[in-house]
Amino acid sequence: MNRTEYTAPATLEDASHIKKQRGAEARVIAGGTDLILRMRENVLSPALLIDLRRIAMDSITLTTDEMRLGAFVTQSQILASADIARLFPALCEACRGFAGPPIRNRGTVGGNIVNASPAADLAPPLMAYDASIVLTSVAGDRVLPLVEFFTGPGQTLMEPDEILSEIRLPLMPEGTAATFIKLGQRRSMAIALVNLTTRLTLDGTGAVSDARIVLGAVAPTPIRALAAEGMLTGKLLSDELFERAASMARKAISPISDVRASMAYREQMTEVLVRRALLATRDELERNQSGD
Amino acid sequence: MTEMDIQLTVNGKPAQVRAEPTQTLLSVLRDKLGLTGTKDGCSSGDCGACVVLLDERPVNACMVLAPQAEGAEVVTIEGLAKEGELHPLQRAFGETWAFQCGFCTPGMLVSCYALLRSNNNPSREEILIAIAGNFCRCTGYQAVVKAVEQAAAELRTANGGSEIRHD
Repeated sequence: MNRTEYTAPATLEDASHIKKQRGAEARVIAGGTDLILRMRENVLSPALLIDLRRIAMDSITLTTDEMRLGAFVTQSQILASADIARLFPALCEACRGFAGPPIRNRGTVGGNIVNASPAADLAPPLMAYDASIVLTSVAGDRVLPLVEFFTGPGQTLMEPDEILSEIRLPLMPEGTAATFIKLGQRRSMAIALVNLTTRLTLDGTGAVSDARIVLGAVAPTPIRALAAEGMLTGKLLSDELFERAASMARKAISPISDVRASMAYREQMTEVLVRRALLATRDELERNQSGD
Repeated sequence: MTEMDIQLTVNGKPAQVRAEPTQTLLSVLRDKLGLTGTKDGCSSGDCGACVVLLDERPVNACMVLAPQAEGAEVVTIEGLAKEGELHPLQRAFGETWAFQCGFCTPGMLVSCYALLRSNNNPSREEILIAIAGNFCRCTGYQAVVKAVEQAAAELRTANGGSEIRHD
């Protein structure tokens, strides 16, 4: 990693101009917890690092209809936010099991998205909460649903002149609960074998008006189990329903065997964990209801 | 390669170094400033032997580039003792044998030091969370927990028995 230059522009506009000029040979560095590793392993060798730390992109803002996270918000900041704990608890939970404290103090939400790891822990909760991302370039801002962003391992729809600047989460309707579960080889410092988030939103009659099942580490990108989500919609919650949904979710995935787990194990655990997550989501909905 | 001038504060003293932009903070501390207490274990942010405080938060010094530390306040293991007097946490590590080979100890101490600064009455669970990024391959975690509990008790006494807790 020896022929890399470095710049820390003062504004996002300056950064965008640099990105426009230099394109893919310039990489934005945020926490660096993934980028530095990949540079050391010569997987990536950017000619220029653009450090955005002089630009305040680490704020958490709550508006009347959405939560906005600057791309440089760290996992530790998410864990410390009472608003996120209240409104998007599954995102909080994903940060709790993320690496260890020294990495959480550096790793950012934007970095976790841009690196596009199929096992990115923050992708399933963000996708389950229908997050959008803001891609900034000289031409202006482009807002994209996160669910459309990933195209393959390490591959995204981001153009070489774009910078991920913000993540937006719409506030969830009443009667919503979500659950994040990560299966790793240990509680800390582990890459997920399977990570997932389920979200259920109920209407006034107790039927599912909206469902999300987002699965990570079991396909080339984090994916939604669309057929299972569709099957849940309009139904009343039951153990039997959750079992069917879990079995359908299993059919949506295409895991690989690798050093961490076999394909068969990931398939089996996906089904088990989707069912568990749906049960936990129902428990959470009941707790919220009795709390009112 | 263009070297850069980088200014930072290390253990309360201003420091200026010339470093390549991709040189790590760990290398700056060890090779430029001679602070070899901070260890290079895995060079990949996994083991925690290189944990230092960067603006009061524990980070892996191997995963911070030198220019990212521009203007920052860094505390290394060498910064814990004051005027030749070991920090209570360091003494507790010695008294409870919270180390065997000692290679993880500097990073382990810095992580625990960060915990005790924000919380001088941590639960066992909170201690385990604080050291979740520090590997001890002699597997001496139990003694580390004991050491932190002992140091926390001493710090509370020194603080007139009152608790400190802030995030």
